[in-house]
Amino acid sequence: MAKQLLDQFTAHVPADTRAAVYLGTKTTHEKRTKMLFDQFADPNRLRQLAGEIKQHVVENLDTYLPQVEAKLKANGAQVHWAATAEEACAAVLKIMQDRGATKMVKAKTMVSEEIELAHYLEKRGIEALETDLGEFIVQIDKDHPSHLVRPIIHKNRREIAQSFEREGLGAYNDDPETITRRARQFLRHKYLAADVGLTGANFVSAESGRLVVVTNEGNSRFSLAATKCHIALVGIEKLVPRDRDLGLFLNLLARSATAQQLTVYTEFFSGPKLPSQPDGPEEMHVIFVDNNRTEVLASDCREILRCIRCGACLNVCPVYRQASGHAYRSVYPGPVGAVLSPLLAGAHFADKADLPKASSLCGACNEVCPVNIPIPDLLLRLRDKGKREYAPLASAGTPPMGGWSVIATSPAAWKTALFGGKIMDYLPTKFIPVPALQAWQAKRTLPKWRGGEFRKWMKNRRKP
Amino acid sequence: MDLSHRKLPGTDKRVQLMATCLCDAFYADAARATVEVLEYIGCRLEFPEGQTCCGQPAFNGGDWAASRKVVRHTVRTFAGELPVIIPSASCAAMVFHGALLAFEKEPDLPEVRQLANRTWELADFIVNALGVRTWPGRYDAKVAFHRSCHSRGTETGPAALTLLSSIAGTTVVPVGEAEQCCGFGGTFSVAFPNVSTSMGALKLEHVRAVQPDLLVSIDMSCMMHLGGLAAKEGKPIRTQHLAQVLRDSLKNGGLL
Amino acid sequence: MSDSREQILSRVRTALAPLKERAPLPDWERELVILREARAATDAWTLFAERLKAVNGTPLTAISELVTILDSNGWRHGYCDPVLWPQLQAAFPASFTVETEFDRTRVDDYTFGITAASGAIAETGTLILTDSGTSRRLGALAPWVHVALLRRDQIFLDIPAAVAALPQDPNVIWVTGPSKTADVEGILIEGVHGPGRQIALLV
Repeated sequence: MAKQLLDQFTAHVPADTRAAVYLGTKTTHEKRTKMLFDQFADPNRLRQLAGEIKQHVVENLDTYLPQVEAKLKANGAQVHWAATAEEACAAVLKIMQDRGATKMVKAKTMVSEEIELAHYLEKRGIEALETDLGEFIVQIDKDHPSHLVRPIIHKNRREIAQSFEREGLGAYNDDPETITRRARQFLRHKYLAADVGLTGANFVSAESGRLVVVTNEGNSRFSLAATKCHIALVGIEKLVPRDRDLGLFLNLLARSATAQQLTVYTEFFSGPKLPSQPDGPEEMHVIFVDNNRTEVLASDCREILRCIRCGACLNVCPVYRQASGHAYRSVYPGPVGAVLSPLLAGAHFADKADLPKASSLCGACNEVCPVNIPIPDLLLRLRDKGKREYAPLASAGTPPMGGWSVIATSPAAWKTALFGGKIMDYLPTKFIPVPALQAWQAKRTLPKWRGGEFRKWMKNRRKP
Repeated sequence: MDLSHRKLPGTDKRVQLMATCLCDAFYADAARATVEVLEYIGCRLEFPEGQTCCGQPAFNGGDWAASRKVVRHTVRTFAGELPVIIPSASCAAMVFHGALLAFEKEPDLPEVRQLANRTWELADFIVNALGVRTWPGRYDAKVAFHRSCHSRGTETGPAALTLLSSIAGTTVVPVGEAEQCCGFGGTFSVAFPNVSTSMGALKLEHVRAVQPDLLVSIDMSCMMHLGGLAAKEGKPIRTQHLAQVLRDSLKNGGLL
Repeated sequence: MSDSREQILSRVRTALAPLKERAPLPDWERELVILREARAATDAWTLFAERLKAVNGTPLTAISELVTILDSNGWRHGYCDPVLWPQLQAAFPASFTVETEFDRTRVDDYTFGITAASGAIAETGTLILTDSGTSRRLGALAPWVHVALLRRDQIFLDIPAAVAALPQDPNVIWVTGPSKTADVEGILIEGVHGPGRQIALLV
């Protein structure tokens, strides 16, 4: 029987990586929960409300997208549309080439990871430098982020110190403060030399066209203080209806992501800088990216488009804690990734069809989600899809259910199996060539077979 | 999950029992205890002989076509208007939630919903349908309670704790990271053996840290996994279904 | 790109067409997200100062305190908003070099930057900066210390109030404490790209 890739990966995660991921996620999750319940009378009401608002947006994108486009244009921003990853990358390149720009500083944006923008630009001779400390380390290591909010949760300080030494950022020193200071010194000159600052957007208000970007390090702010052109890559699902809704979402986002009341920098952009302001972009471009989101919208898993990328579901997920982010082979790991990644793969769904299986369906993700996405239900729908589309990765390791369904729909056959199963108590079951039975018994004993005993008791006892 | 609309029993307290396939095959005493406990509080039980399984294994495994066959069998077997009581949060959630998902696009969704709307997990039923909040008898033990994951969003967890902590002699000790899954997850436990057993090992660590006399749950599936892991390690733990504790409390108090 | 626009919008319409009904937009009461502390506050500055300290920021009420902090840390070369400098100048001893122009080619020369806040949020200890109110984006960001001058009447009690009053400014930024990261092993380090010290001075 074929094995599940994520499970295989988990078996080889180094002990210190697993310990770091476990500690990092557990600590953040516990702080998050304490903070929300200490500070609000009914945090679950907030999650439910935020979910309803995002679901409304998702189901009314046909109204909100043209509305926000008009607002952005009125604010002086230029609006672009990209149906695919390739188009999104090409749009960024074109904006840069039109300005004769060759250097970009990037803030952390998951959609840029999704379209592999930095790689695309570098191949075309453009420097696209990550400025978020974690993302910068991922970039110099030619690695991939393993968490939505904590990209290098899988790395320890010694590995980082070695990377810095290799890149000429100073002699080996694994003190986190020294590492941070060195990045500060190196990157601030990069900001000042760059032509373009690229960000994502956490939210866009359809009412006013304001883009909201949150960071803790100040890298996005620095990008947009030092450069003359701002490009924002925005997934089409990032809208909220009204400015006032930001009051709800900002209250939930940082608490869910990092157990902060607010991130250090919450930026609202609605156009190029004021003429009286010496620093900042004279041009602002917003690129709305589809890249299979409309396919997700058409599916019965559209609730996943509510996601605000806080990472709370990763932090609470027992599978993510054991497997770590790279096990998901995707830009979006964890429970949300197990839903989103196969869907965003579009025609290549089968390549990611195993991910929806990588869950015990415990539902902890749904319980912490700030937009109340019913992740287990969506995982189940995708399991059904994987089965219907005969995706081999999805079925790996799952016992076939055909025979079981025949027995379980025939009471006579069921009873025969119950009483016949008694034989299990006398057989060396670990040698029975049923893969599921063997997989079970490799690590766990099997309880004694008591098939039919309850029924016998029920039948023979004196009714009260 | 909004379960507020669920059907209450009539004054004759007639109910149907879905014993679950796991009790049918392995945990006969948990099913027996369920009967004894329900009868003690005045319920009149019907046990539809044709019952097999709720259909969850195939549903979670992704084979919804196979699952729907079994759900349809279950719907036919539990025909009528009586509340259906299940000594498993997981099987109960399959009947009142999972089955509805699997039948979203099926013409017989109303029949499935009719069963869903009268299905109860045992502890939830005792506390919230019958209003029993203190349990008589005596049971001297330090108990760790494992809230099974399929009880999230339902009243089952609080109900089970209400009953357990009301028993004379019983102390419920809080277990670390109680919201974390034990790693069973049905077919997940065999398709993802490494992740599943790592999760189980962590859960056992938390349980052992508080040194309980026994581990109690409302789902024997979690107990089969955790108990099986512990036994394989050569450090077995005692596991019981909530119904067994309730029944033994009655026995110890001379009430049964 | 207009082709892509049409393509995306038409896909969106097609995707939504089968929905029998669309999820309605719920309304919500702003009180839901306002912290108890903000509701009970009698003085906005007191609450603001308390919350700013909670995120490792420094609230001050006297220019002399500011000068002492800067002087004792050896932070004597800085930038100041030219509009603000005349009212502050007298408090700074001659050992200080304060420029009212920010020269981006000498970004590391400035150890502190003094600019005006456009507002604050008490319940979060947040300073609000805007393009119209902040003389230089870089001056408020690149130096190790940022000092924001704040008036009592500019303080909003809570986030919903601040959102409701978002100004018509292309760039509004809420700053809650010093710049920070926990990327390396989850260890909190302050002063990543922005200030390592965030000061609010009540004027």
